[in-house]
Amino acid sequence: MKVKNAQYWTCQIVGWGAYSFGAGLSTGVIANGWRRSVVIGYLLFFLYSIGLTHLLRSQIHRRKWTSLSLPKALLRLVPANMLIAAVQSALVVSVYTGIEGHLGEWSQASSIAYMFIGLSVVDTIWTILYLAITTFRHSREVQRREMQMKLALSNAELRALEAQVNPHFLFNCLNSIRGMISEDSAQAQDMITRLANILRYNLQKDRHHTVPLASELEAVSDYLALESIRFEDRLRVHVEVDHAVGQSAVPPMLLQTLVENAIKHGVEELPSGGDLFIRASLEGDALRMEVENPGNLRDPRPGSTQIGLTNARERLRVLYGDRASLQLRSPRVGRVTATILMPTTLSSSA
Amino acid sequence: MKALIIDDERMARQELRRLLAAHSEIEIAGEARMAEEALNLIGHIEPDVLFLDIRMPGMSGFDLLERLDDVPQVIFTTAYDEYALKAFEVSALDYLVKPVVPARLAAAVAKLRPRKVRSTLERVFVKEGERCWLVRVVDIFLLESEGNFTRLYFANERVLIPRSLAALQERLDPDVFFRAGRRQILNLKWVQCVNVGVGGNLSVTLHGGKTVEMSRRQSARFREVLSL
Repeated sequence: MKVKNAQYWTCQIVGWGAYSFGAGLSTGVIANGWRRSVVIGYLLFFLYSIGLTHLLRSQIHRRKWTSLSLPKALLRLVPANMLIAAVQSALVVSVYTGIEGHLGEWSQASSIAYMFIGLSVVDTIWTILYLAITTFRHSREVQRREMQMKLALSNAELRALEAQVNPHFLFNCLNSIRGMISEDSAQAQDMITRLANILRYNLQKDRHHTVPLASELEAVSDYLALESIRFEDRLRVHVEVDHAVGQSAVPPMLLQTLVENAIKHGVEELPSGGDLFIRASLEGDALRMEVENPGNLRDPRPGSTQIGLTNARERLRVLYGDRASLQLRSPRVGRVTATILMPTTLSSSA
Repeated sequence: MKALIIDDERMARQELRRLLAAHSEIEIAGEARMAEEALNLIGHIEPDVLFLDIRMPGMSGFDLLERLDDVPQVIFTTAYDEYALKAFEVSALDYLVKPVVPARLAAAVAKLRPRKVRSTLERVFVKEGERCWLVRVVDIFLLESEGNFTRLYFANERVLIPRSLAALQERLDPDVFFRAGRRQILNLKWVQCVNVGVGGNLSVTLHGGKTVEMSRRQSARFREVLSL
């Protein structure tokens, strides 16, 4: 920003300086010699021209004229340029008469008209140059941002893949199943089915693809069923899902990430376990998904990288830009909620 | 040998119990669901070995060891915790990943020894930041008092533990550990050379070149102990 401003002021001073000097030399000094009215006149012309065009620049930005269609922009820029030329002409005449005490050549209306037309052309050239430079810069900025976006996208993909199966969960689960085989073989079979479902769901390669919320909830419930065998009565789950949102398209593994997080921070670490709430509903046009668990926002565990949350946020940003959000809040003491708000679209895939 | 199984998951404890049934030399003297419970049980049953899960609610396995004055033999059991295992500088007796492979368990059990009846310290668990050590007391060559804390010197480490030098001295073997002054206790087995200074005061060089200066009184006692 600072660099851009410095460049802008350099252009202003050099441009108007060169013009004032050249015009002063050719029309004033050659015709009339080094007169006070010429020197002071063009010096002041240099200053107020910079001021006037600077005003024009701030109008262009404040009123966002660059984002208008071409006819609409011209409808504003042409009169603005003519206004500036008119003000410049009036000031030139006033300064001259102020110093010389008479109108001189400005007593002829045609001289003033020529000057006005000339200045209009100069101001128009200023405007064209200014817009050309800013547009060029802007397009470079857009390109740069696109590149960054692509980079962020591929990073997010990579991390999403890395975070697929939580190995701690997987191996604990396998251990429980092995123990369960001799204790209750029917339940062991059920656990293996659920684990297979989760692994299949996890192995979906295309991370941009969205799935109906109902499928995500199925995977989440398989996951929770397995975790409740590990945690037994320490894990108490409450699901409150609006029927209307079952077919909403959601990124896979997003709600799952929040649930895993909630278990890690809200159940696993508490000797007496905790109550987990999973909610999904429509809020206006937005889909609201929420996971609530016991805990405190203030004490992140040492060694907690928050990679799950960072990752989830990044996926939302890549998919929905600023139309989606993921927030961690504490609705009351001892409870933490993670809330996702995102646009609703119907899932095309089943 | 008496074993205590410490794991927050019932299925995991049961599974380990099932696997240990093949080892008649191991008597499972108790089970604990969490570290607090384990602390009580350890006091009562004085197990020879702990089968200890690292991640548990409340206190972790490491936190538990830190609370113990004297640490029995430990076999860690963990599902997947590269991070926690990396924290270990001097490896524990052994660690097993869940689901436990029976052959690995047999190898770990084979390394166990019944604990001798003894009143002296055998092992201390030391933690500094993310790093931890299960140090055999015989490997400590110097203990240095720092207020209510004591700095332990072993291998190339010097780590502070939250116990006073006086409290530690009570549990150290007096034939091996010598009080060299108000602030220091040294391990006689790690003494490399002794220099006689002005006035007959001794200065002792330990493992790694660490030297300890002794007062006249301590020098005399030192001579006596080593019959110099």
